[in-house]
Amino acid sequence: MLSAWRKLALLVVAGVLAIAGLADVLVEARQEGFFGRERRRGPEISYDAKAEYDGRFSFTRVRYSTASELASGRFRREPTWAHDFPRADFNFLKILGELTFVASFVDQGNVLTLDDPDLARFPIAYMSEPGFWTMSEAEAAGLRAYLLKGGFIIFDDFRGNHIQNLFVQMRQVLPDARFQRLDATHPVFHSFFEINALDPRSGYYSDEGDAEWWGIFEDNDTRKRLIAIANNNHDLGELWEYSDTGYVPVDLSNEAYKFGVNYVIYGLTH
Amino acid sequence: MFDALFKTFFELSPVVFSQGEFRFAASPGSYLAAAAIAVAAGLTVVAYRQTQGNARTRDRVALAGIRLAILGIILVCMFRPLLVVKAAVPQQNFVGVLLDDSRSMLIADVDGQPRSSYVKNEFGATDRGLLKALSERFTVRTFRFSSAPARTTQDSELTFGGSQSRLGAALSGVRQELAGLPVAGLVMISDGADTADSALGEAILGLKAESLPVFTIGVGRETLSKDIQVGRVVTPKTALKGTTLMVDVVLSQSGYDGQKVTLDVEDEGTLVSTQEITLPDAGTPASIPVRFTVTEAGPRSLRFRVSPQAGELVTENNAREALIDVRDRKEKILYFEGEPRFEYKFIRRAIPEGDNIIVTSLIRTADNKYMRQGVDGPDELVAAFPKTREELFAYRSLIIGSLEAAALTGDQHRMISEFVDRRGGGLLMLGGPRAFAEGGYAGTAVADVLPVVLDRTKLQAKGTVMRLTVKPTRAGAATAVTQLGANDAASAERWNTLPRVTAVNRIDSVKPGATVLLTGTDESRAEKPMLIFQRYGRGKSFAFLPQDSWNWQMDASIPVEDMTHENYWRQLLRWLVDGVPDQVEPALTTERVEPGEAATLTANIVDPSFVELNDATVMATITAPDGTISDAAMSWDGEHAGQYTVSIPTAAPGWYEAKIDATRQGKLVGSAVTHFRAAPGDAEYFDATMHAGTLRRISEETGGRFYDPANTSTLADDLRYTGRGVTTVEEHELWHMPIVLLLLVGLMCAEWGYRRVVGLA
Repeated sequence: MLSAWRKLALLVVAGVLAIAGLADVLVEARQEGFFGRERRRGPEISYDAKAEYDGRFSFTRVRYSTASELASGRFRREPTWAHDFPRADFNFLKILGELTFVASFVDQGNVLTLDDPDLARFPIAYMSEPGFWTMSEAEAAGLRAYLLKGGFIIFDDFRGNHIQNLFVQMRQVLPDARFQRLDATHPVFHSFFEINALDPRSGYYSDEGDAEWWGIFEDNDTRKRLIAIANNNHDLGELWEYSDTGYVPVDLSNEAYKFGVNYVIYGLTH
Repeated sequence: MFDALFKTFFELSPVVFSQGEFRFAASPGSYLAAAAIAVAAGLTVVAYRQTQGNARTRDRVALAGIRLAILGIILVCMFRPLLVVKAAVPQQNFVGVLLDDSRSMLIADVDGQPRSSYVKNEFGATDRGLLKALSERFTVRTFRFSSAPARTTQDSELTFGGSQSRLGAALSGVRQELAGLPVAGLVMISDGADTADSALGEAILGLKAESLPVFTIGVGRETLSKDIQVGRVVTPKTALKGTTLMVDVVLSQSGYDGQKVTLDVEDEGTLVSTQEITLPDAGTPASIPVRFTVTEAGPRSLRFRVSPQAGELVTENNAREALIDVRDRKEKILYFEGEPRFEYKFIRRAIPEGDNIIVTSLIRTADNKYMRQGVDGPDELVAAFPKTREELFAYRSLIIGSLEAAALTGDQHRMISEFVDRRGGGLLMLGGPRAFAEGGYAGTAVADVLPVVLDRTKLQAKGTVMRLTVKPTRAGAATAVTQLGANDAASAERWNTLPRVTAVNRIDSVKPGATVLLTGTDESRAEKPMLIFQRYGRGKSFAFLPQDSWNWQMDASIPVEDMTHENYWRQLLRWLVDGVPDQVEPALTTERVEPGEAATLTANIVDPSFVELNDATVMATITAPDGTISDAAMSWDGEHAGQYTVSIPTAAPGWYEAKIDATRQGKLVGSAVTHFRAAPGDAEYFDATMHAGTLRRISEETGGRFYDPANTSTLADDLRYTGRGVTTVEEHELWHMPIVLLLLVGLMCAEWGYRRVVGLA
């Protein structure tokens, strides 16, 4: 027969263990998503995933190094470029395949650096968290050639003053290029879905600021095509990732898909 | 030479023998002589049978034979052989002399003298040369001819400035002018370089019907020892501004074997292309491909020339002119793409804004959802792919991307087939997962148009791709579309370094009339056709198998400034729209006419669905070189559907512009502008050697003779024996020909010698 104090001690220990376990789970969940490492997803979800080109479109995520990683030599378990990877990528591809006639890879991830020659096989690229983005000379040259020859890049998941880093990095790539504000009349918002208003309060980080859409035009000429698009104070990837859970409102994730599909259709036609 | 020898032995010229008839004029004395000879013959035989000595039978037979031959000749002579021939009575007959008055006679290839100097020497005045000889026997009527014959009486009328030589017309003309007169024959002095389009046959037939012989004298050399000639140049009649053309230039030469010369192409004085070439072997014409871009609009006169080399006898044939009407207008291509893909984007990107080619595209982004780009207004293609022929035929060419056959209705399939066949448009099908047999096109009307064979049982396995390196074929390398570099070597080098592409359509064979321009080699070294072309009906069709030629633009190995991908697509699309007719399509029988000649202008008029119209009102507004404007109504020619003609007289030399407007029931059907030139031709200087063959043919078929200028001494006499005109019968005794005496003496000596050898006395 355990004494009351012993019982209490046991309870306390059990409680601490439970909390520790829960905390661990929560911390893990916070870092890696509610469903952990997604082992049940199958192949090609490692950070080195690279699709074998066969003519089809693929959701191509750009991998970069951050300044702190380069400085400390230590790499985070989930790097900033890999936010929402791979569920965002796959969910988006599924929606794209359902809604449009775009022929794409749906079961292979695609992660490439900017200086990888294979990047040229996928003229539409996506970068998450450009606020932490740094580049080497080779990467800058790679992105420059990619964009000037006809490539298109999407910058997503950044807020507040991250945009300053984006501007600085892009100036390294294309010194003369300028980001310009886009309004809802631009063809990219009508390439598939009709997005007639860009609600500044619709951003995922609307508490940090208004959602803004910025773009770089070829030769800075607004009549020519966009070569880059960036949505400030917004995180489409996050919305795609959690679209099949109850975590985000359906309206918001739907809008996120609309933007994504429009970006891709625009990149395939302009 | 032969003639002189013949005359020595036979006393008469060969012409007399060929024209005359043999006859024997036997008299009673002949028969007496015959009897005597018969006796002598008999005695001979008897004598030789009985001869002693060591003569063998064979020798005796031979000797007997010789003796009998002698007696035979004497017998024949006793019978008075005669040659009866019709000879022209002096001064009772006419002879027509035709003198070539064209520019080719000024070529100085006869010992440094122009050909015309012979004419001047022999026919310059009646007191010298051949003219004197002829005038003594005949009444001479002299004519000069180049494009048509004209009577001349004085030497000074010969200017040798004619820009054509029409031998047939000259002969017929002179024959008709001298009809009714007693003409012994015609004498034609020419180099035989006929520039007429029609054959000589008709003229010769006319002469044969009247048994009028022509005696020809060929002046000039049969081969020019040192000459370079630019032969035929075949260029398209029209071209779109900015197109690169590949043209074949035929070169021939003599005397400059293996030498390097520069072949220049000038566009109204501006050099547009120059290349160094090695001349082919003497006598063999070689075809040299020349590449240049037409950048200026309007009627352009292009000169293809080789600069004159030292010692060339004729330098006027070193350049050829060709006329190309360069059109500066917008040509619309309809591009229907079935799925959003990069190939679509990069093809559109290759054609810049403001280019003469406008790509109006319709891309299907989702089921029943389309995006339009490059449209003129909100109404164009508002109902997706055209459903009427009028709407579809408004475009010049059609590109179909990865779009399955089921996305089009049966009527739309037929419309596409008629688009190529009847409208004369171009069709290009691009490779992709929903294209060709993989897209269900096998057995459809569109499959009939395509240059490849589609087999629904032979498909590319789903999910697999072919990875190929693409290269031009031999046939492809001769076209402008495969030129990726400034010259052949640079182009071949570029093809070798282009990145691989992928294809998802299996094509095992092409149609019989199709040409494979590019082939792809896959990893197993198998070759597959990549770009195939064929003519179909009035139009043309292409199949382009790679689904991602955009890799030629985006691949990491391609520099940013590289324009290979853009140039390839621009050339291909230009070829696609090349030659596609309008609703009003003008045509001229020849682009150049002689000043004073009339040009025949033809126009093909069709309605918006390209059905010929025979009841349109067609007016041609002609602007002459001096600026005067005149109107000419064109009328249906009554024979060919939709074809209207008018004859336009030209007076002044220079460029003429013809603007054709067609209206029907008050509505404008269409307009077109075309140009032509009135200028003297330079055909005289091409193939300007002496054509002995032509002259021989004329003389032999009409019963005359061909002479070299050196051997014309017998001409005047030979003309006497043509048997035509006012003639008398001449009898020539043949028994006193020197040959007879020689034969007799020869045979007697032979017999005597033989007898001595054999041992008989």
